[in-house]
Amino acid sequence: MNLRLRSILFIALGFLMTAGAGVAQTTQYGQVRNNADQVTLTRWALQHIMARHWPDSTATGAGKFQAGTTEATLRDMINEAVRNGHARHNTHGRPGTIYEYDFQHQIGTTIDGGPATRLRIVVSNRNEVITAFPF
Amino acid sequence: MHLDYQLKEDSETDWSSVTEEDLRYRVALGNLIFHVGNKDFSAAWDWIPLVDLAASLAEIVRKLEGGSASQTFEFTESDAWIRFERKGEKVLVSTSYGEGEGESSFHAVSEAVKSLRERLQAELIGKHPQAAHNAAVRKLLGVA
Repeated sequence: MNLRLRSILFIALGFLMTAGAGVAQTTQYGQVRNNADQVTLTRWALQHIMARHWPDSTATGAGKFQAGTTEATLRDMINEAVRNGHARHNTHGRPGTIYEYDFQHQIGTTIDGGPATRLRIVVSNRNEVITAFPF
Repeated sequence: MHLDYQLKEDSETDWSSVTEEDLRYRVALGNLIFHVGNKDFSAAWDWIPLVDLAASLAEIVRKLEGGSASQTFEFTESDAWIRFERKGEKVLVSTSYGEGEGESSFHAVSEAVKSLRERLQAELIGKHPQAAHNAAVRKLLGVA
């Protein structure tokens, strides 16, 4: 009897944990996972990235994502780069961390218009994406 | 050596509440005008955060003054960079986006960076007086 009760409680706890994780993933905008923590892509950051680095952006001197890049694919790329990329401290006293990852295939264009395979992401100390661009 | 900037008009920023992150990435954007000898390393990209530029260059000068042999400024929205290599009393300047190498005295670099910071501070506070009381502005531009 005790064993059955324990089993039921164990299964119920599993359901609760799974449901909780699902809520966390769906209610927070653009959340991506890091090994140690999570980074968040806010709407402000997405607008910042789109203004400078989206395929149709007219900003000069900035890498551009490939045509067809969507919010979802950007989020996936950020996820992969933060999880697998090289991390270093931001430079010149700028707060935060820089992640860089080479996807080994073209994800956009460099500032010269050449093919870019790498992604650089700047993440704040609050684990929020500040900017992200191909290079 | 000629170091200057062009500040884009910005009427939307609330200068009493801007944060360091805003100043490093999002506000007071503009262009860099930078000539070293006969080399033109200007960057007319419109998105360069000028307060970050001034603060970062000041940090680079401090490090070169402290004995560092080389310091590299990284732009915030691209992999473009400016490298400063100290050779005694001289500084060699090269960039990822311009050809060749410029040469200047360390004193000239130091004075140009100090002047840039002071002029930017004066222009921003002149246009937005509330910026003078903002902690992030004071930290990055050294407002007295």
